[in-house]
Amino acid sequence: MSMDTIKVSRFELLLAGLLKHGTWLASAIIATGLALALMQGRSGDHGSIIGSSMHIITIGIACLILLPVVRVAFMLVIFLKERDYRFAAIAAIVLTIIFAGIALGMHMAKTQAPAHSTATLPS
Amino acid sequence: MSIGLLLWLFSVSVGASALGGLLGMAGGIFIVPILTIFGHTDIHTAIGASIVSVIACSCGSAAPFLKNRLTNIRLAIVLETATTLGALTGVLLAGIIPTAYLFFLFALVLVVSAKQMMARRGESTITDTTVDSNRWSAALRLNSSYPDRILGGEISYQVQRIPLGMMLMYGAGLISALLGIGSGVLKIPAMDTALRLPIKVSSGTSNFMIGVTAAASAGAYFMRGDIVPAIAGPVALGSVAGSILGARILMVVSSDRIRVLFVVVLLLLAVQMLLSTFGIHLMGFSE
Repeated sequence: MSMDTIKVSRFELLLAGLLKHGTWLASAIIATGLALALMQGRSGDHGSIIGSSMHIITIGIACLILLPVVRVAFMLVIFLKERDYRFAAIAAIVLTIIFAGIALGMHMAKTQAPAHSTATLPS
Repeated sequence: MSIGLLLWLFSVSVGASALGGLLGMAGGIFIVPILTIFGHTDIHTAIGASIVSVIACSCGSAAPFLKNRLTNIRLAIVLETATTLGALTGVLLAGIIPTAYLFFLFALVLVVSAKQMMARRGESTITDTTVDSNRWSAALRLNSSYPDRILGGEISYQVQRIPLGMMLMYGAGLISALLGIGSGVLKIPAMDTALRLPIKVSSGTSNFMIGVTAAASAGAYFMRGDIVPAIAGPVALGSVAGSILGARILMVVSSDRIRVLFVVVLLLLAVQMLLSTFGIHLMGFSE
């Protein structure tokens, strides 16, 4: 039992590290994109560079969304390593549901043109 | 993108997440009303930005809970099957529910949250030992223990009524996806009353699960094009900053005062969201 506790707490430390550093990385990418957008906004230089800074922000947001998904995948690997197949299966179910959500979003984007695709910004 | 708008989005999110973090929840519940009421943002865009900020809050604040063993990882992954399935249902519903109903539902959730904030969660130390109701948690080895500094030593606990807990979690996931909130407000009572978890463990486990639940709907909204980087970017960054700030303030301010402020803000937003249901705007800048 004590061995088990030690193993579990190492598992928890790994998860804590993953989530913390992942959040910092995604935030840094978003901050870089925003800083670029601000600099271009100030110099009044619109066009393709604005597009590229939005691109960087989008990448940062995608990293943030993927972070919990990576966390579940990481848990799946750990459960497999510990030969805890029941929990590996549970983690696999959660991953499947998330990917089904992504597929659903892609399907919705294709079939129904969202009425709010041109978001109006107050400016 | 104007600098003013960017700074406004950033500071609003810092404030929302700091305030939410003080009471152990994500700031999403403030972000959607503020963006729609004051920023006149489309509600689907606001929900998309908010759900990203929920992930940021959950992941950014997970480490201390994990290090203090307040997160029951095994229980979390079991319940996540229900919350993510609920989120998927929420995504489907979000596409068909009329906007007015979304405002109404949001007002309702704000009122429920305010009510819950007033009735403080009491730390009940009564542990009833009904062994035969724990078939699920025994089979899945969900029972655990956590170190409690105030009570002293390891406190062991048993997880109860898993099927009921799963049903409540499905509902929480659905509301989370539909409204772009963490719905910790709904998860924590489910864990306190159905699963009978110690208060600290339910906070830690709920916070851990919120990120995955939000990722299930955020993935769909991202692909669908509902997540607008110019809005979601500053909101996400502000939320990370706010949740760090909230944790710092928590150590110096009494939580009772914050609670009153919280309830007032929630009720004010509820009134305006209710009015928005009927297309009436009292506050905010005119375009």
